[in-house]
Amino acid sequence: MSELPPLVFQAPVADWGWQIAWFFWFVAIGGGLAVAYWQVRRAAVAFTVFVATALGLLLVFFHLGRWWNMPLVLWELIRAGEFNLGSWMFLGVIILTVHLLLGALAAYAHAEDVGIYPPFGDRVREMTEGALFRGVFAANGVLSVVYSGFLLTQAHGIPLWGTALIPILWLISSAVAAVAVLELFYVLGLVDERVSVAGMKLALGLDALKLIAVLAFLHVSLTAMSAAARAGAEELVSGSLAWLTWGGVIGLGLAVPILLAALMLRYGKSKGLIAVSAVSSLAGVLFLRASVLLAGAWEPLLG
Amino acid sequence: MRLKPGEQPTRRLAHLWNEAACIGCAACVISCTATNNPEMLYRADEGRGGVASNIRRYEGVTAQGRPTLLLNQCAHCDEAPCMKTCPFGAVYRDENGLVRLDSRRCAGCRYCVTSCPYNARWVHPDTGLPMKCMGRGCLALVAAGQKPACVQACPANARDFGDLNDPESSVSRTLRTKRHRTLLPNSGAKPKYFIVEEV
Repeated sequence: MSELPPLVFQAPVADWGWQIAWFFWFVAIGGGLAVAYWQVRRAAVAFTVFVATALGLLLVFFHLGRWWNMPLVLWELIRAGEFNLGSWMFLGVIILTVHLLLGALAAYAHAEDVGIYPPFGDRVREMTEGALFRGVFAANGVLSVVYSGFLLTQAHGIPLWGTALIPILWLISSAVAAVAVLELFYVLGLVDERVSVAGMKLALGLDALKLIAVLAFLHVSLTAMSAAARAGAEELVSGSLAWLTWGGVIGLGLAVPILLAALMLRYGKSKGLIAVSAVSSLAGVLFLRASVLLAGAWEPLLG
Repeated sequence: MRLKPGEQPTRRLAHLWNEAACIGCAACVISCTATNNPEMLYRADEGRGGVASNIRRYEGVTAQGRPTLLLNQCAHCDEAPCMKTCPFGAVYRDENGLVRLDSRRCAGCRYCVTSCPYNARWVHPDTGLPMKCMGRGCLALVAAGQKPACVQACPANARDFGDLNDPESSVSRTLRTKRHRTLLPNSGAKPKYFIVEEV
C-alpha cells in the first residue's frame, strides 16, 4: 500500500462549514414546521417558518464570496434569458424564495393573533386556511429540506456526500426539529397539550428512525469504494470530528431526547424535561449537518 | 465565446503532462502564477496551502519507498460537473473546448469548488472568484497562437498543449504513440488532462 498524502478537506478551501450548517438548520426548521402547519395552524408556527427561512437565506447570502455581485448576476441571467435548471442550487434559490413568500403570507394571516390588524387580513387568513395553501406550503417545506440534501449529493468532488441517504437523513431530522420546536411552543404555552402528547410519541419514533439513518450513513461511508468517503467517515467515528458525532449527533441529539422521553412516558411529563429534550434535539440536528459538512474531503489523486 | 447548449466546440484544446520526463522543478507552477495571478506571487493559497497557482503539486512515497510526484490542474472536462452545478451559469465552455468562468455571473457560492472531483480550483482572497487553469494571461497567450505559460516554461519539455480534434497536433500524436492515463477515470467527468507515462 502506498503512503497517501493527507486528505484535502473541503472546509478550508470551499468554506462550506458551520455557517452552511446553520443555513441547513434553519431550512430544516422552516421546512419541517411548514408541514406541521397543515395540522397546527398557530401564529407561532407561521412566524417561525418565516423567520427561520429568512434567517437561513440571510446566512447563505452573506456566505457568498461575492454577494455584492448579485445584482449584476441577476441582471446577466435575465438579459441572457439563460437559467440553469439542472443546478440544485438554482432550484434551491427558487424553492426557498417561494417558501419565504408562503411563510410571509402565513405570518400575515396570523397578524391578528398578536394584535396587529393589517389590510386584507381576513382574506389572507381565509386563503391560508384552505387545503390548497396548506398543501402547497407543506410540499414546498419538504422540497426545501430535500433541496438542501441534494445540494450536497450533487457536489461530485466530495465522495462522502454522494449518497441518497443524505436527503433522507435531512428529511427525518427536519421532522425531529419541527417536533422539537412544537414541544418548546408547548412549554411556552403557545400550543396546547394535545400537540405535545402527539409530539412526544412521534419524536420517539423519529429519533429511532434518525438513529438508524445516521448509523446507515456511517456504515455505508466506512465501507465505500472511495478512499475520501471512508476517511471522512473515519474522521466522524474515531477522528478529529468524533466529538461532534458521538457527543453532538448521537449523545445530545438522540440519546438525551430518547432517554428523557422514556422517563416521561414512565413517570409523567415535565415541562422542564420537555424543554431540555427539545433543545437537545435541535442541537443534534445542527451538529448532524455540521459533521457531514466538515468531514467532506476530495478523493486523493496520488496513491 | 460562450457555447450554447447543444453546440460543439470547434477545437478541443487539452493539456498534457509527461510524468516520466518531469524533473519536478516547479517552473510550471510558478510561471502559471506569474502569468495569470502575479499579485499572488508572494502570497500563499490559504485554503489549500502553498503557492496560489492553477497547477497543484502533490508529493508522496510509494510502497517501495520511491518518491512520487503529481502535477494537477483543471482538466477542462467534456462533462464538467462544475458547469452543471453552477447556479447562475457562470461556468461555461468556449469554442475551444475550454471550461471558463464569467466573473459577471459569479456570486462566489463555491459550488464549482466542491463539484470538481480534481480539487482544481482555489478561491482568490481579494475577488472571491474560484480560480483555475486557464487564467487570463494564458488565454491571451493562446489567443495569440502561443502555448500556455507552463508549457513555455518547462525546461524538460514535459508539458504540451494542443487540439485533440486535430490528428496532426503534437498532443494527438503523443497520445497516439505513448502510454497515458487520466486521473479518476471513473468520475464520469471525461477529463482532458492527460498524464503520459513514458518518455
